[in-house]
Amino acid sequence: MSASIAMAESSRSGAHALLDGAQTAWDMLSEEQMQKPITTGCEELDTILGGGIQCKAVTEIGGIPGIGKTQLGIQLAVNVQIPVQYGGLGGKAVYIDTEGSFMVERAHQIIEGCIADLFEKFEHRKQSLVCPYILQPNSFLANIFYFRVCSYTEQIAAVNYLEKFLEEHKDIIVVDSITFHFRRDFDDLAMRTRVLGGMSSKLMRFTKKHNLAVVLLNQVTTKFVDGSFQLTLALGDSWSHACTNRIILYWNGNERHAYIDKSPSLRSASAPFQVTSKGIRNVTSNCKRVRMM
Amino acid sequence: MSLDRVDKNWLFRGQFMARPHIEPLNPLLHLSSQKLTLGCPLLDHRLRGGLPVGSVTEIAGESASGKTQICLQILLSALLPPSRGGLSAASLFIHSEFPFPLRRLRALSSSSSLSDPLDHIFVAAAHSPHDLLSLLAAAESLVARPPTRLPIRLIVIDSIAALFRSDFDNTPSDLKKRSFLFFKIAAKLKEQARRFGLVVVVTNQVVDVVGSEDGPGRLRVGNYAYLCSSGRQVCPALGISWANCVNTRLFLSRKDMIVENNASSRTTRRMQVVFAPHLPEASCEFVIVRDGVFGVDL
Repeated sequence: MSASIAMAESSRSGAHALLDGAQTAWDMLSEEQMQKPITTGCEELDTILGGGIQCKAVTEIGGIPGIGKTQLGIQLAVNVQIPVQYGGLGGKAVYIDTEGSFMVERAHQIIEGCIADLFEKFEHRKQSLVCPYILQPNSFLANIFYFRVCSYTEQIAAVNYLEKFLEEHKDIIVVDSITFHFRRDFDDLAMRTRVLGGMSSKLMRFTKKHNLAVVLLNQVTTKFVDGSFQLTLALGDSWSHACTNRIILYWNGNERHAYIDKSPSLRSASAPFQVTSKGIRNVTSNCKRVRMM
Repeated sequence: MSLDRVDKNWLFRGQFMARPHIEPLNPLLHLSSQKLTLGCPLLDHRLRGGLPVGSVTEIAGESASGKTQICLQILLSALLPPSRGGLSAASLFIHSEFPFPLRRLRALSSSSSLSDPLDHIFVAAAHSPHDLLSLLAAAESLVARPPTRLPIRLIVIDSIAALFRSDFDNTPSDLKKRSFLFFKIAAKLKEQARRFGLVVVVTNQVVDVVGSEDGPGRLRVGNYAYLCSSGRQVCPALGISWANCVNTRLFLSRKDMIVENNASSRTTRRMQVVFAPHLPEASCEFVIVRDGVFGVDL
């Protein structure tokens, strides 16, 4: 009995030696199940996302100006830091700001909102005595590593630099927005496509190698198709294949909605959300108390 | 700057690496990012302090809605010390609408408490988008090495729409060319805003919203399903492309109301926050009087 097990194990390790770095699908599934998604702050949106933004994946979030892309980006950079004791990942965030939309005062507001809701949700737990020391706005701000890039060359340099920077543990990279600096004219459009492709495959590699989530915020443009103008995500042609998941934010009457436009594992669905002073929340009540039995 | 001039292989192989500056998000230093007062505490309050440094704010509205008035007012408030909401700084005013309102600026500056404010306001005219780009390139040296003792920390462009009025047709290829220029201009403005700690204000005109429910003109952008001025439904000019280029969009509207029994009309004016990364939906009624633009509390 033991001899046959030993043989099975040695042939398994032999197979592994042949394909260095390869995994079995089973290993991948168990790893995926261990990886907690990052909550968006809105329960309904989390539900259609299968719990939240998936780690080990590149998620593109697009929408028109003012719909809440930056708000969601900041919310994710905050929520990734929710301590494990409070059901989060206890992680750190990288925020690459290409447009100057990130405002520290707004991040501070969102952090305060997150902490307030955590305290409300978990106030019955006595063991939260340790956590109040971690739940300070300053420590949340300190765990958002903020890069401001002002040109496409700076953006490429930043992404290349991340290779080294990510050796220390990070759990999410938010790029706000990914295409802004590439929407001006370029003498060589084919080169632009290749540069974007190189950047996207690098980001994809980061998700695999460093076990993190990459969130790319994108702008919307009108494309002249079949004689009429249609709304599409910017640089869609050179970019769209690069993302695992794609979410579109849009107005549905007076309500903000998020729609899953592309995903290998999630059903197409949409969910309403709102942007409050505390950040991204459910449309219904944002003062829900969690009932514990 | 074209990609051709950078070593293509270098970029492509990922060896183009300069350690980018990582910003420590020190709340003590940056928490209330520096703001420029509009010159009225009520308007400032709606904007959580005023116009933010390091970002591009658009003020859109129809003619005579008050855009230029506010621009002139902030040219002066920039000279105030930070303790009074200013930047202790000179300004650059690039105008594409003619003539430059010198008389109004002189009237406002004489009623202010500042000494020789006009010495610290630089004015330049632009007739086309390429003019603007050349001005911004030249402005860089002006901003970096100011001729006066005060640095330039405010750039106003009045208006962006007038620059694009004549050179472009409504064909898809012209619109694409136009859109390329938006991103080039916006990237330049944002880079300068960031590098030199500038407040950048750009005014924009509005166009009438026509067409069916589903047409592109009816696309909702921001906090309001529709924007109205002088009884017409309007939206800021230059489309979604330009909307993607600004950080904050403010909308000024006016409504003329006939006063009963009097056969005269009263103009009510409103400023609304259409979108902003740091502001909730907000609006404020304001008036334009001899001494400037001021919010009114209802």
